[in-house]
Amino acid sequence: MVTAHPTFPDEPADALAAVGALRRLADRVEDAAVEQAVVTGWSWSDIAEALGVTRQAVHKKHARRLQRAGIARGAR
Amino acid sequence: MAFERFTRDARAAVLAAREEARSGGLHSVESEHLLLALATRPEFGLDRDRLAEALAHEEVRSLAAVGVSAGELEPHTGARARRDPRFATSSKLALQRALAVAAKRGDRRLTARHVLLGVLAAEHGRVPRALAIAEIDVGKLRARI
Repeated sequence: MVTAHPTFPDEPADALAAVGALRRLADRVEDAAVEQAVVTGWSWSDIAEALGVTRQAVHKKHARRLQRAGIARGAR
Repeated sequence: MAFERFTRDARAAVLAAREEARSGGLHSVESEHLLLALATRPEFGLDRDRLAEALAHEEVRSLAAVGVSAGELEPHTGARARRDPRFATSSKLALQRALAVAAKRGDRRLTARHVLLGVLAAEHGRVPRALAIAEIDVGKLRARI
């Protein structure tokens, strides 16, 4: 669960560190979201469209780990 | 990167860093993964788990600074591990700095100690922030190793 109450730090070091932390958080959210979509029966094309990336990009990034976990089928 | 100049221990540390990133389900190997990998070596007197805790704390703190709080958020099956996370800018920079340290001292081989000095050379980023949280004095650490 992610909660946000936007604010901005006084120190540049803290603001810059937050950028990295948010990127890592976005990656975690993407992993969870793609897995949820695949489990729910979404196609790679639909997931790609929803993320605004190509089907190849989303497949390359997520297919292998989900196949190994027995969630996604080998074929696309 | 001139890997043929790396000693066996230095190569092992680089591979262990990739494993740190992979086991965390991450896309990239960062300098903090080199730090964690090196912290498992007894000669540096570091505590890997304590540093991992400090890095986790740093993440929570950095998110909190922009008002974000992320609790448990794992994929349902935990299917996160990727095959080969790539070495990102921060880890490449640490290795370049390690090579520079070795060159400056006239050392022909690049050791794990050089790699740690390369990691500790960073003034900004997660490594110095986590070391500060773990209350580790970087100057003293560099002098000690």
